[in-house]
Amino acid sequence: MCHQTVSLAARYLEQHGIPTVIMGCAKDIVEYVGVPRFLFSDFPLGNPTGRPHDPESQAFTLEQALRVLESAPGPRTTVQNPLIWSVNPDWKLDFSNVARLSNEEIARLRAEFDRQKEIAKGLRDKTAAA
Amino acid sequence: MTDRPDGSDQAPDHDVPIPYRERISTYYQTLGYGAPYRWAHYAEVPFTPLDKPLAESRLALVTTAAPYQPDKGDQGPGAAYNAAAKFYQVYSGDTAVDHDLRISHIGYDRTHTAATDSNSWFPLPLLREVAKSGRLGELAPRFHGAPTNRSQRVTLEQNCPELLARLREDQVDAALLVAV
Repeated sequence: MCHQTVSLAARYLEQHGIPTVIMGCAKDIVEYVGVPRFLFSDFPLGNPTGRPHDPESQAFTLEQALRVLESAPGPRTTVQNPLIWSVNPDWKLDFSNVARLSNEEIARLRAEFDRQKEIAKGLRDKTAAA
Repeated sequence: MTDRPDGSDQAPDHDVPIPYRERISTYYQTLGYGAPYRWAHYAEVPFTPLDKPLAESRLALVTTAAPYQPDKGDQGPGAAYNAAAKFYQVYSGDTAVDHDLRISHIGYDRTHTAATDSNSWFPLPLLREVAKSGRLGELAPRFHGAPTNRSQRVTLEQNCPELLARLREDQVDAALLVAV
């Protein structure tokens, strides 16, 4: 939801006259929504502004985003950060990949998802009531 | 290129951006939930040109990370998904000081990253430096937190107008939005 939220917000701000740039790691979601400017880092979700404990990577990644902000020629501009997470791309096979889960794990994940959904609902209702 | 495991200059077939929409939809269907989530998908995309150099612009930072709340359970580093740490209203913070923001309320890649360095999702300290260097005119006085909500209607009708109002109040020229 996170990439969709930020994409909707970028669109909304641009419609109201504020230029934006998004930094993120889920290319398909952001481009599917459709946004003005996007710096895509091909890293595991959770690292949109550079590799952890790597200030050089973080500074490089932010500078890329600023350049996208100032130089995008039009909407739907995506630039891919040239930095990579690992020379071995196998990490891309793991995220939410049901082919890699056993039936027991699927049952456990479902129970946990239901539990978290209830917690979120309670919180949402509380915020709405406040 | 010689760094590739097989010594070739060709990338393996699966070395592409992860198709998250497809993965997530298959995942929830396999878990037994019904129709797949319908992601927002617009035909038109707005675009506002930056009308002055960045070195003269006031830039705002927008994040989906959440302030650490000691009474809300494990929020990391390395925490399991924690819905109790979610927030449902836009919040703001002073950019002149440091903040402890966490991402345990977000479905990030817990297999391959452990959220041990907030600079990899919340670049406030770096933005202060960059502003000081003159690359930016200035950093806006506040950063803003945007709630991640499954409901596109709530995001568009409640959270986005609130975010816009705060950015206008801060008289920003542009916004950097970070999706965790």
